[in-house]
Amino acid sequence: MPRIEIDGQEIEVAAGTTLMEAAEQLGIYIPFFCYHPKLSVAANCRMCLVDVEKQAKPLPACATPASDGMKVSTRSKRAKMAQQGVLEFLLINHPLDCPICDQGGECPLQDITMGYANPHSLYTEEKRVVEDKDIGPLIATEMTRCIQCTRCVRFGTEIGGISELGATGRGEKMAIGTYVAKAVRSELSGNMIDLCPVGALTSKPFRYKARSWELKHSQSLCPHCSTGCNTDVQSLGREVLRVKPRVNEAVNEEWLCDKGRFAYAGLQAADRVQTPLLRINGSLQPVSWADGLEAAATALQKTIGRAGPDAVAGLISPAASNEELYLFQALLRGLGVRAIEHRLRQTDFRADPAMPLYPALNMSLEQLETERNIILCHAYPREQQPLTNHRLRKAALAGAQIWALDSTQREFNFPLRQIRAAAGADLAVYEELLALLRDGTPASNPALGDLADAVRAADKPLFLLGSSLLQQPRAAELLAVIAEIAQQTAARVSWLAEAANSAGAWLLGCVPGRKPGGVQVEDAPRVWEEKKAFLLYGVEPEADAMDAPGVRAALDAADAVISISSFLGAAESYADIVLPLASWAESSGSFFNNEGRLQQYRAAVRPAGESRPGWKILRVLADHLELAGLDFDDLEALQDTWQKQLGDFPLDVPGFRVMPEIAARHQEDAGGLQLLGDWRIYQQDPLVRRAQPLAQEPVCRLHPDTVAELGIGGAAVELLASNGAQVQIPFVLDAGIPHGAVWLDLGHPETQALGGVGTALRVQMPSIRV
Amino acid sequence: MSEWLSQSSLDAIAAERSKYPPEQARSALLAALRIAQEEHGYLPEPLIEHVAAILGVPAIQAFEVATFYTMYDLQPVGRHQFCVCGSVSCFLNGSDEILAHLQERLGIGIGETTADGLFTIKEVECLGACKDAPMMQLGDRYIEDLTPQKLDDLIAQLRKEAEQ
Repeated sequence: MPRIEIDGQEIEVAAGTTLMEAAEQLGIYIPFFCYHPKLSVAANCRMCLVDVEKQAKPLPACATPASDGMKVSTRSKRAKMAQQGVLEFLLINHPLDCPICDQGGECPLQDITMGYANPHSLYTEEKRVVEDKDIGPLIATEMTRCIQCTRCVRFGTEIGGISELGATGRGEKMAIGTYVAKAVRSELSGNMIDLCPVGALTSKPFRYKARSWELKHSQSLCPHCSTGCNTDVQSLGREVLRVKPRVNEAVNEEWLCDKGRFAYAGLQAADRVQTPLLRINGSLQPVSWADGLEAAATALQKTIGRAGPDAVAGLISPAASNEELYLFQALLRGLGVRAIEHRLRQTDFRADPAMPLYPALNMSLEQLETERNIILCHAYPREQQPLTNHRLRKAALAGAQIWALDSTQREFNFPLRQIRAAAGADLAVYEELLALLRDGTPASNPALGDLADAVRAADKPLFLLGSSLLQQPRAAELLAVIAEIAQQTAARVSWLAEAANSAGAWLLGCVPGRKPGGVQVEDAPRVWEEKKAFLLYGVEPEADAMDAPGVRAALDAADAVISISSFLGAAESYADIVLPLASWAESSGSFFNNEGRLQQYRAAVRPAGESRPGWKILRVLADHLELAGLDFDDLEALQDTWQKQLGDFPLDVPGFRVMPEIAARHQEDAGGLQLLGDWRIYQQDPLVRRAQPLAQEPVCRLHPDTVAELGIGGAAVELLASNGAQVQIPFVLDAGIPHGAVWLDLGHPETQALGGVGTALRVQMPSIRV
Repeated sequence: MSEWLSQSSLDAIAAERSKYPPEQARSALLAALRIAQEEHGYLPEPLIEHVAAILGVPAIQAFEVATFYTMYDLQPVGRHQFCVCGSVSCFLNGSDEILAHLQERLGIGIGETTADGLFTIKEVECLGACKDAPMMQLGDRYIEDLTPQKLDDLIAQLRKEAEQ
């Protein structure tokens, strides 16, 4: 254990500790630009030079390990000369455009210059100019400001799995960029904005919107996936201007994915509902809150009076807060309604009794990094839970063996082995794996044989079940086989929860057949069948439901559709009453993340227009319905109530409860190509799909052989479903898609009309319309 | 054999590669790029990508190396390349005048090649012969204590050789 002295203070540090880390332990600040605790040490900015006794030259603190007896000075004359010299050189080519630079006010170069620079520069020659790069719609570049710290490059290779960025050229001509102009495509790219210590990389959507010191900061959470990243929502007046990560080593470390960082742009969408709306003479008209709520209460009471509570169904978004989820089900259950659901993307519910208390990771995110054998089952966390994926990537880089079973090949950013099912044969893959493990029969697919060997050799391998598993048309049968595999091999089963509060939805009873606390009740009626009224909460079924055509038909046929929502969307044509819902940024609440971690978020701005926080809407609606016990005056009282009802629960729960007998569902061969697909990263909820900077046009993917067989040329195809829907869409060739299948980006209302995964489609050349 | 490199070059690259541990393919980049340039005369973009692919490193890493060292030529060059040092010692001893003289005599700028394909002028970093500054490298020779007269004689001699 080396003992060293920094600025006269002694400290004993572990072997291998750098001077930078030792100084940090002592609370001594050493200025730096290129050093970053999460990245490899480059020592190329030289800002952290310190004076070490008996050394001929100042040494970089970030790259110098402490050795016994070192006497370090960070403020001696020699250290100060080094700091001033380095800054003078760094500023030679740095433009003095701080007044128009978005980094101004939160710029390490600016701050350190104020603190350490000699105010006079000897440099009188011209400054160099560097060509700007176009690296996509999210990051604005001003490369003349770059000081070549290479943090972005190291982030790319070490964290993001991007290998396109580098530093080319030499000396004065050195520049950061890609060698051929291309957009940097990574779901974590926005973090480079935070890492850049100057204004070379700034946020494009935030550009010139405000100065950093004018912004109000609010502690919040990301509502876009189940990782539960901690965020800082920054606003000016009533507008959210940007979202940044808050440091929480246990959850998101200090990262945030682009979905969480830029989705706020959707808050200003044109179809944001501003006032309560009521359908009068066939069109939605603005009305007062009192009239809107009264109409909603009357519609529910009338339907129940006429057709009974089973004629009503409630659908709530899994990104709603615990408070909203609890009140939603309490209100509906108070009316006797049993069809309460949050899973719009699932169509096969036969395995419901086997579902765990909540979709649990059964370990902390930090523990996930230490897993050695992981089998991803229809899981693509890179787009679904990007920062959980980052933990998996760390595990993989540390030597974990990771396998993925899926309908298609996915673009993972870490080494793993992927096994892809033939079109529509997902179940067969799991069945064969089970057979291999049970009987040791020779495998038809050698990769599957290798997987079976690996599972057998592993000590308690981890099966991680992804959301697209539940989206399969025969999900229950898949789950039954996986449960069987787990039993055979003493494997553990964990779930990658789909949305920000899927866990809360399960825990607080927003599933048919379960009350808060996971208490099972008698069989609940199906949500979409024979319903006369729907209460929708924060959902957009035309884009969020797997069986969108069927759901749409049910909504169109209903007597009353009440939509509590931030956005109008297609509700314009099917809703009878629309109540404007405050977004997550405009209300407070709490989420359970995938680990079962309870976290709170605070409202950042006032609700848009006349919209109100959801829990207040539900509470007043309960008043209008004369339901007792739901008249909470504040959020704390409501939280106390649901927490009391939920009680303590174990975070680590068995992957499955008792699996019921599930009969094989005969699948008719409807001919045509099988539809496969998933909600892409920026299409997963109503808010993110409205964020302009993230917008992606839907495409379909076809195997080259499929295209050759069909004799398709050009760049677009026409897809036809048996329900009459017809969509013209660009296609790309992708050998990762099984032959005989069509991959479709889901979540776009126009493509959703074709139907969900498993639908048979006809594919043809676009017909020419005259 | 590949579309860019002969079997002997590929073998030479493989031999260089084997000098480094399996996970350090990047270390073989310098030698691999040199071998590719020796065969092809210079390093066009697709060839750099090809070398990166042979070693299994991201293309950007090969570009970083190829753009850093002045010994790699990213454009076609003439038969004789005047690599004039512009670093401190040579600069203090008049490398700017040497470069200006060369440009005037040959009618081309730095980094350009004469129309007859004979000469290219290049400014390079320190070549370690400071005591005889200003200097330049021509092929595998150092030519030191440069003066305009010395350059004129050299150009004339090289032209004469080319005519023969």
